[in-house]
Amino acid sequence: MTAEADLELVRGLVGAALASLEASRGRIDDLNVYPVPDGDTGTNLTLTVRAVADAVATADAAERPALAHTVARAALMGARGNSGVILSQIVRGVADVLAESPNGVDPLQTARALRGASNAAYRAVRRPVEGTMLSVIRELAEEAERRSGEPGPLGGLLLELVRHGEEAVARTPEQLDVLRDAGVVDAGGAGLVELLRGLTGSVTGEPVPAAPEVASEIAGHDAIHLEPSRYRYCTVFVVEGDALDQDELEAQLERLGDSLLVVGDATALKVHIHTDDPGAALTLGTTAGTIDGVEIANIQEQQEERERRLSLVPTTRAR
Amino acid sequence: MEAAHALSSRLGRITISSEAIAQIVAETAVECYGVVGMKGSLRGRLARARGRPSGIEIGRDGREVTIDLHVVVEYGLNLAEVASSVGNRVAYEVERLTGLPVRAVEVHVDDVRTGK
Repeated sequence: MTAEADLELVRGLVGAALASLEASRGRIDDLNVYPVPDGDTGTNLTLTVRAVADAVATADAAERPALAHTVARAALMGARGNSGVILSQIVRGVADVLAESPNGVDPLQTARALRGASNAAYRAVRRPVEGTMLSVIRELAEEAERRSGEPGPLGGLLLELVRHGEEAVARTPEQLDVLRDAGVVDAGGAGLVELLRGLTGSVTGEPVPAAPEVASEIAGHDAIHLEPSRYRYCTVFVVEGDALDQDELEAQLERLGDSLLVVGDATALKVHIHTDDPGAALTLGTTAGTIDGVEIANIQEQQEERERRLSLVPTTRAR
Repeated sequence: MEAAHALSSRLGRITISSEAIAQIVAETAVECYGVVGMKGSLRGRLARARGRPSGIEIGRDGREVTIDLHVVVEYGLNLAEVASSVGNRVAYEVERLTGLPVRAVEVHVDDVRTGK
């Protein structure tokens, strides 16, 4: 493979990874409760990968070691936030291995690259925490090693790895209590899988569809409850119909409260809203279609109860 | 005991010692990505000799807490981003676990660990 072809390939891979991350940036931001719930993981990962994309866009064709060095250095310099720093180590681990591979990339080299990434990521922390980007990259490396002896094209292996990564991310709430309590999966791990999804699509030539969006629906719903609300009732219900207009229902509900989520498709929409008038919200639902699964909870009562318990210690100020 | 940090409550004053806060900082710091060790100043090493976490100094500014910590970071990481993440995480955990407002967290990267 010529140096020019290598550079074009890397540009394509990084561009695809960036596009995939950018598309899910908001969702990943919303998942971010660990290590600090500041809602910026998707943004940080996107900025970090963008720094790599910018570097390869202006790089000259070079031998593999020099190209790998350019990529690793761009990730290091462009690393943003905790997740960006971990990603920069992962990129460096991959780049170090692929720099040495003479030609093309096969499943065996992929496994070695992911193992290098996992080792590099783990090396830089004294006490690694499971249920984070770290455990997701390690599980990807293990799966790649298990499958590296199987015959078949690289694209097939990468597709399997995306599936395995999705499962690893889905398990993160079982590994890390703070995720389970917030009802979310790990944001950094989810970002890593989106990055791999983009890379894989670039290799196979076809977009890789996401697993059903169940996780993000649950996640958005519970993450919202971490914020105090000035409205009294948390109201959740499902609207069923033939040609439901999600945008219209959302616009109508918006006037009634905050923390609004309307997710689903034209036949079923799940609604979540904090409002002082749950009746009005349900009426909007019955106007649009038939409603089901109604749950109304008095959140101010829950908040007052929590504050009573915490009254010995003043609540921390928001940062 | 060093300066105690006080909170008032309906039932009376609550004090939290600097040692208690230093323990929280130490537990948090070792989980922070990029931190591979803590490094004490002379004062910190004396503190360690007395069984207290090394590389951590807790101070007080009015009723707010100030924290200095000295860390060793893995070579090859973006030091500015690591230090900033450590500061955010430490402030967040101390506020969450003690209820005391944190005025400042100064993160000093005292050394970089090279080699594998």
